[in-house]
Amino acid sequence: MIRCLYLLFLVLMGCTRSELSNEIVIHSFLDANVPHLDPIHSTNKYSSTINSAIFEGLYSYHYFKTPLELQPSLAETLPIISADRKTYTITLKKGVLFQDDPAFPDGKGRELVADDVVFSWKRLADPTNKALGWWVFDDLIVGLNTWRDLLRRGKASYATPVQGLKVIDRYTLQIQLTRPSHNFIHILAMPPTMVVAPEVVRAYGKEIVNHPVGTGPFALKNWTRNSKVELEKNPNYRPAFFPNEGWDESQFPSAKNYAGKPLPLADKVIVSIFRETQPLWLSFLKGDLDHGSIPKENVNQVFSGDKLSPFFEKQGLRILTQHRPDVTYITFNMEHSVLGAHKDLRKALAHALDKQVILDKFYNSRGLVAHGPIPPGIDGYDPQYENRLDYDLEKAKNLLAQAGFPGGQGLPVFDYQMPNVSSWSRQFSEYLKEEWGKIGVKIKLEANTWPQFDKKLKTKQASIFDMAWMADYPDSENFLQLFYSRNISPGPNNANFINRHYDDLYLKAQKLPPGYERNQVFKQMVEFINEEVPSIFLIHRFFRLPFHPWLKNYNETPLVYDYYKYLTIDLNEKKKIKSTLKKP
Amino acid sequence: MFYLKRILQAIPTLIGVTLITFTLFYLVGGDPAFQLAGKHASPELINEVRSQLGTDRPIHHQYLSFLTKSLACDWGYSWQTNQKVNHMILSALLPTISLTVPAFFIALLISILISLASINLKTSEQISWINHLCLLFMSVSLLVYIIIAQYFLAYRWNLFPVGGWSHGWSNLSFLLLPWLIWIFVSIGPNVLLLRKLFLQEQDKDYIKTARAKGLRDSTARWRHILSNSSPTIVTLISMQLPFLITGSLLLESFFSIPGMGSILIDAIQSSDLPVIQAITVLGSLIYITLNILCDFVYSFLDPRVALK
Repeated sequence: MIRCLYLLFLVLMGCTRSELSNEIVIHSFLDANVPHLDPIHSTNKYSSTINSAIFEGLYSYHYFKTPLELQPSLAETLPIISADRKTYTITLKKGVLFQDDPAFPDGKGRELVADDVVFSWKRLADPTNKALGWWVFDDLIVGLNTWRDLLRRGKASYATPVQGLKVIDRYTLQIQLTRPSHNFIHILAMPPTMVVAPEVVRAYGKEIVNHPVGTGPFALKNWTRNSKVELEKNPNYRPAFFPNEGWDESQFPSAKNYAGKPLPLADKVIVSIFRETQPLWLSFLKGDLDHGSIPKENVNQVFSGDKLSPFFEKQGLRILTQHRPDVTYITFNMEHSVLGAHKDLRKALAHALDKQVILDKFYNSRGLVAHGPIPPGIDGYDPQYENRLDYDLEKAKNLLAQAGFPGGQGLPVFDYQMPNVSSWSRQFSEYLKEEWGKIGVKIKLEANTWPQFDKKLKTKQASIFDMAWMADYPDSENFLQLFYSRNISPGPNNANFINRHYDDLYLKAQKLPPGYERNQVFKQMVEFINEEVPSIFLIHRFFRLPFHPWLKNYNETPLVYDYYKYLTIDLNEKKKIKSTLKKP
Repeated sequence: MFYLKRILQAIPTLIGVTLITFTLFYLVGGDPAFQLAGKHASPELINEVRSQLGTDRPIHHQYLSFLTKSLACDWGYSWQTNQKVNHMILSALLPTISLTVPAFFIALLISILISLASINLKTSEQISWINHLCLLFMSVSLLVYIIIAQYFLAYRWNLFPVGGWSHGWSNLSFLLLPWLIWIFVSIGPNVLLLRKLFLQEQDKDYIKTARAKGLRDSTARWRHILSNSSPTIVTLISMQLPFLITGSLLLESFFSIPGMGSILIDAIQSSDLPVIQAITVLGSLIYITLNILCDFVYSFLDPRVALK
C-alpha cells in the first residue's frame, strides 16, 4: 500500500516537470507578490521585472555598463534634443510587432507606431486609471496636465490632441517639455512609460491588468497569482542582439560566447514567488532555482570573511555583488517645534551614532558608510567627500549643551516611528535608543504597520524615523529632491525641510546639463544638507546575490529590469553539477 | 420557524461585523490614498485619489456603500491589484481549501482513532505518556514544525518539493508536506480534548450497565461512546471550519500556496479595503451558516435536541 502511494507520489511529481530536455528554462524568483501586469502601475521591482520582460519602452540601459548607460530600445536612436532642451524628437524602430493576441485582427500582433506611444502615455495621465507611475510625467509635458483635467471633467477624450505630444509621421514623435529636463530620457527608460496597444486595452477593459500584451522578448504564458509567473519566448520579437562589449572579463568570462547572438537567449522563464527566505534558500541550494538570495541567518554559513566558505567554493557557487543606488537615513521632522528649531541638537544626534558599527551590526558589513544622499554609481557621487558628522560622543554632548539642553535636560521624549514590525526594525531602533540615551536624549519607540507609518509621514505626524530611498532613475537629482521644498509631505521630502538657498541651488542644477558645473552645484547641496542635518545619512547598501555556475550572464542590476532576455543556461553543466550538489 | 429565527438573528451579527471592520480600518488601517498616490504624492493627487475611491465622502455614506456592496456580494475591484475582488477570492479559495480541508479531516479522523484506542489505557504511566506527548506536540509552534520539516523532509531527504503550486492533481505533490505538518500539529490538542470527552462518556451509567451485560468493548466504543459524543465533535468542527476558509498563513507563505492567507495579508499591508471587507463579510457569513448547519446536524445526531 505504502509502495503504491509512493509510486503515485512520484508520478505526480513527474507531472509538474513539463520541461523538454533541450529547452532553456530560467528558474528565477521574486520575494513578493506581483500585484498587476500593467506598465502604468509599475513602480516597484516586482511588477517592473515582469513587465519589462513583456513590454518595452523607448529606451533601456546597457546590460553590463556601470554607471548605467542609456541605449535605444523601441527608439531607433537616441533622441534629437533642441538647443533649449525642451523639445525631444524620437524616431521609432520599424517593423516592431506586438505579441499575438485575440484582441488583434486574426490574432496576429500588428506593427507598433508612434500613435501607440502617445496612447500609452495618455493612459498614464488618465485619472480614471489611478496610475501609480503618473508622477513621471506630472507637469512635465506641455498640455498633458490640462488634457488630464479636461478628461476628468468629461471635456476631452483620447482623440483630443495634447500640445506637447506630436506624431510627426508613422514612426516619429515630438515631445515638448514644460521645462528643460536632462532626466526626461531616463524617464523614457522607466517601466510606467512602456508601450501598449490601444486595441488590447479596449478589448480587455479593466481586465487589462491580467492580459499584458507588449512588444517585449517574452509573452505571458501563465500567471498563478501569489505563486508563479511563466513567460515564454515571443516569436514576434524584433531583431535584438546580445551586446558586443561592456562586460568585465573577470566577472563574466563566458559573456563573449554570446556576443551578437539574438535575444532572448532562453526559451522560457519561470518566476516563483517566495514570501519567506528559508524556502527560497532551500530551493536554490537544491538547484530548483538558478539564482537566489541568502537569508541573513545563513550569511555566516556562506561566507568566511569576504570570501565564500570552502564548502560553497567547492560547490562552484557564484556571487554577484550588486551595488544598490540607494541610501538609508534617519530623518527629523523639521516642523517639530524642538527638532526643527535646534540645528545643534540634530548635529549632536548625528555625532552620537557610529555608522560603521551600524553597517557591521545591522547590514552584515554589506554596504558603504554614507556621507550624503548620493550613492556610488550615480553621476555626482564624490568618493573623496566626507561629511564632518563623525562619531564623537564628547562633541555630541557639547553640541547638546550648546543647543541649551545639557545632558538632555529640558528635552521632550521624541517619538521614533518604526516603518514596520520586523525584528530588524525593532533591534535597530532599540540600538538608536541606547546610543542617543548615552548623551541624554530619550526616544519612545512606536511600531507601525507600513500603512500606519506611511500615513504618519505624509501627515507630518512622525518626529524621527528611518527609511531608505532607492533611485527611480540614475541621477543625483532624484536624491537631492528629497529636500526640495515643493516636495514636502505628502511628497518625498518627509523631513519637511524648507530652505530658500537649497531650493535655489536645486533649481539652478535642474537647468544645467550633466557635467562638472552641475556636479559642483550638487556638491554644494550635499554640504548644505550635512550642515543643516534634516537627515542623518547611514548606509549605501550592496547585496551579494548567489547563483549557480550553469546560469550564464547573470547581472541583476537595480533599474535594469529587462535582464531575463540576456540569461541562459548551460544545460550540460547544469545536468552535471545539479546531480552532485551536496547539502551543507 | 427555528431556522428563520436563526437567520434573522444573523442579520444584526453581520451588521456588527461590518461595523467593527469598517471602524477598525479607519482607526488603524492607514489612508489608502497615500498608498495609491505613491512616494511622489502631491496634496492635489491625494485629493484626486480620495475622490476616486470615495474616501472623501461622509463616513456614513461610505459605510452604507459598503453594506450595499456586501448585500450584492460584489466588492468591486481591489484598490491595490486592480483585480476583481470576487475573482481574487475565488481563485484563492481552491488552494486554501485543498490545503486545509483534507488536512483537517484526516487529523480529526486520526485523533478520534487515537483517542478511542487510548480510553482504556490502564496504568498511570501509559496515561501520563499520552498526555505528555500531546502537550509536547502542542507546545512547539507551527513555525518550528514547518522549518524543521521543510529542511529535513523536503531539502535534505528530498522526499517532497520545497514548495510551489501547479495545476489540477499535480498539486497533490505540493500539498503532501503541508498536510503532514497540519496533521502533526493538530493531533495533540485534538486527542487531549477528544480523549477527555470519550472518558466522560465512558463513565456514564448506561455504558457501565451495557458492559456489565456483556456488551463488546468495540461496540461500546464505536456505537455508543463515539455516537453519543458526536454533537460535541460537530461543535469542534464548526468552530474550526471558518479558519479553514481563511487559510493558514504560515503554511501558505512557506510553501508558496496562493491561498486566502496571502491575499488577506497583502490587503492589510496595502490598506486594500474592498478585499479586507470581502474576506471579513464572507468569513462571518460562512461562520453563521455553519452554525445554523450545526444546529441541524445536532438534531439529526441526537433527536433529544429539539430545535425550538
